[in-house]
Amino acid sequence: MSVIRIRNLTRDYGSGKGIFNISFQAEKGEVFGFLGPNGAGKTTTIRHLMGFIKPKAGSCQISGMDCWKDQEKIQKYVGYIPGEISFFDHMNGREFLKFVADYRKLGKDNRMEEMLDRFELDPGSKIKKMSKGMKQKLGIVAAFMHDPDILILDEPTSGLDPLMQNRFTELIAEEKKKGKTILLSSHIFDEVERTCDRIGIIRSGKLVAVDSVDALRKRHMRTYTVTLESPEQARAFAEDFEGVCDGTTVHVAAKQSLENIFLHYYGGENDQLDII
Amino acid sequence: MISWTLYKREMKGSVKLLLLLAAVMTMYISVIISMYDPELMAILDGFVEAMPALMAAVGMRAGATSLIGFMVSYLYGFILLIFPMVFSILRGNGLIAKYVDKGSMVTLVAAPVKRRTIVMTQMFVLISGIVLLLLYTTGLELLIAQSSFPGELVVPELLKLNAALLCLHLFIGSICFLASCVFSDTKYSVAFGAGIPAFMYVLEMLSNAGGKAGKMKYCTFFTLFDATGIVAGENRAMLGSLLLLFGAILFFLVGIRTFCKKDLHI
Repeated sequence: MSVIRIRNLTRDYGSGKGIFNISFQAEKGEVFGFLGPNGAGKTTTIRHLMGFIKPKAGSCQISGMDCWKDQEKIQKYVGYIPGEISFFDHMNGREFLKFVADYRKLGKDNRMEEMLDRFELDPGSKIKKMSKGMKQKLGIVAAFMHDPDILILDEPTSGLDPLMQNRFTELIAEEKKKGKTILLSSHIFDEVERTCDRIGIIRSGKLVAVDSVDALRKRHMRTYTVTLESPEQARAFAEDFEGVCDGTTVHVAAKQSLENIFLHYYGGENDQLDII
Repeated sequence: MISWTLYKREMKGSVKLLLLLAAVMTMYISVIISMYDPELMAILDGFVEAMPALMAAVGMRAGATSLIGFMVSYLYGFILLIFPMVFSILRGNGLIAKYVDKGSMVTLVAAPVKRRTIVMTQMFVLISGIVLLLLYTTGLELLIAQSSFPGELVVPELLKLNAALLCLHLFIGSICFLASCVFSDTKYSVAFGAGIPAFMYVLEMLSNAGGKAGKMKYCTFFTLFDATGIVAGENRAMLGSLLLLFGAILFFLVGIRTFCKKDLHI
């Protein structure tokens, strides 16, 4: 059974805004990447999953439970990093984490210290005075400290420096190994490429592609056959361009980066979009 | 039913405001009660004669012969209406709408805690603040009255009066709370949560001033709190307070329901 399951989810905000007929699922132990430009409907979809918004049409389920009706049961197993982090400003970081731990009725045995170490965060300062990156780290610690089975992460690395982004990618890989199900929305292609098994690409509220990273790449792969003057040249060419040499002909494949594939779905006019 | 962790945190958030209001009220209450003096009464009555409209607007009338009558005239028309109302307005907005507007509500709803639990906790925080403020007022009034004028104050009358005052303030609190639950934007939450009680109080002042404006009393809920009538034990006054209490319960329930059902774009 799919852990996260969205069926025909629709929420029309009028004038073309909203999400329309979104369906996808994520299996246990899978990292599902959710890609799309600003305002495409990623956060709206995630809000439905979190039970913040009641679906107008369609359904959202996590572990077979309805995301709206069974919200508080589901939340026990879910860790969430919101797209826009806003905490109680006048608290300091440690007070905030202590509050979240108590509020969730966690015992002393939680992953708070481990997470603080991992992201080198000193939670002693006032949240109001924290930089964007520090707040983001605090959000990560709060989302992971109860060791949830399901992670819903809305642009989790925004504001983090490259080193911390790497730490985060490592963390995701570790959690995946432990069998956690992860939904990750992101703008960073590199991150998605490295961490996700499958990707859903959303545009203007519609899901335009759902597939594995490899399959998406393959579909957008172009191969060329180049004929050169001598076998030596052909060999050198094959070496430089990672092609396959066959006498004087070389077969090369242009592997597109995920970014290009992404741009392919977004580039150009609305109606020129070619949907696979 | 309620989350104690959240309750404790929010009560801590109320402390500063409560202390501030309590300090200001202490000053007013102690000064005004100690002013009770038949001779001075004559002076105040003189003011009332000189500018009846202005004095009446702030609920001060002549002829308060007993200590409780004096207190009704000079405390229950302005100070004890305004200060607890300020608490309800500030906290009412801060408990729900501000969190939704700023997005920090995420922390509260993205946890295994029912929305009903969250909103009920916040409601109890507001009610606790109001109750604490009025309990303090009652204690202070008793203390000052008994030490300055031993035996002058009829305690059951004061308790009845403050119970009615509590009904009024619960009603005001419920308006602020409902506005906070309905609107996700602080702007509107404050506009209604503060605007309605403040506007009603202005109407009350106008109607007190008498004359043509006297009819205004049918347009404001403050009329339902009839301090003189409560002290005199009039049934009509009791009924008014009961109506306020029922109104409060209704508005709190509607607020809870609204928050549980609404979409949170956070």
